[in-house]
Amino acid sequence: MLLKRVVALEGERVEFRDGKLLVNGKAIDEPYVRYPCNWNLSPRQVEEGHVYVIGDNRSTPIENHYFGQASVKRVVGGPLW
Amino acid sequence: MVKSKFILIAAMIVIAGIWAAVFFFPSEEKKVKKQFSLLSEWISKDPNESTLTMARKVKNIGTLFAERCELREPVYPLSGSYTREEITSIALRGRAHFFDLSLKFYDLNISFPEEGVARVTLTAKLTGKSTSGEQMDETRELECLLRKIDNQWLFSQLEVVEVLKK
Repeated sequence: MLLKRVVALEGERVEFRDGKLLVNGKAIDEPYVRYPCNWNLSPRQVEEGHVYVIGDNRSTPIENHYFGQASVKRVVGGPLW
Repeated sequence: MVKSKFILIAAMIVIAGIWAAVFFFPSEEKKVKKQFSLLSEWISKDPNESTLTMARKVKNIGTLFAERCELREPVYPLSGSYTREEITSIALRGRAHFFDLSLKFYDLNISFPEEGVARVTLTAKLTGKSTSGEQMDETRELECLLRKIDNQWLFSQLEVVEVLKK
């Protein structure tokens, strides 16, 4: 079981530029990210029936962090608040 | 009085019999779970592990695998069919990279699609510190096939399920 934050929905474009998350080209304010990162990820579109999830702990190099798009069928939990 | 004494003794014998049956003849599901528990124990490494313990653990890892085991891993270049000896060698080299290592399995879901075959889906969590000081914390979903060979459940296929695609 993985605990990740949904940052983008199907059809949206996700990318990282110098550690900043952009969804559909707009920078996202992420006060929950405690440690800054320097990640760079080329833009990619979230497939139909999928969501894009990323963990809040981004202090590790991008290649060591497990994130990406997952089928909504795999989502078993929801936010409590 | 004598009658109730006999009833009590009979009840105790029945309870002891049930306990013995459960203990000495575990269900197939328990036997499969036991293999995961042993794999977890033998892969894991304590920082103060002696050479003797290391040798014993690595040697034991091979006994959990079938003569040939297929690894399917979408990210790292590890996919392929390996002999028991090759698995032991990979485990030895992998463990040597770590100062301490812990492998734990969660949410085991066991089914028996056919006689002598167990399919297990689970979450594996690998944490540790490499000899170069780098922390590792990897969680992956696995799908495993075990085959019953000579009355032992042996790993014959391990697949890392690609849940998240960057």
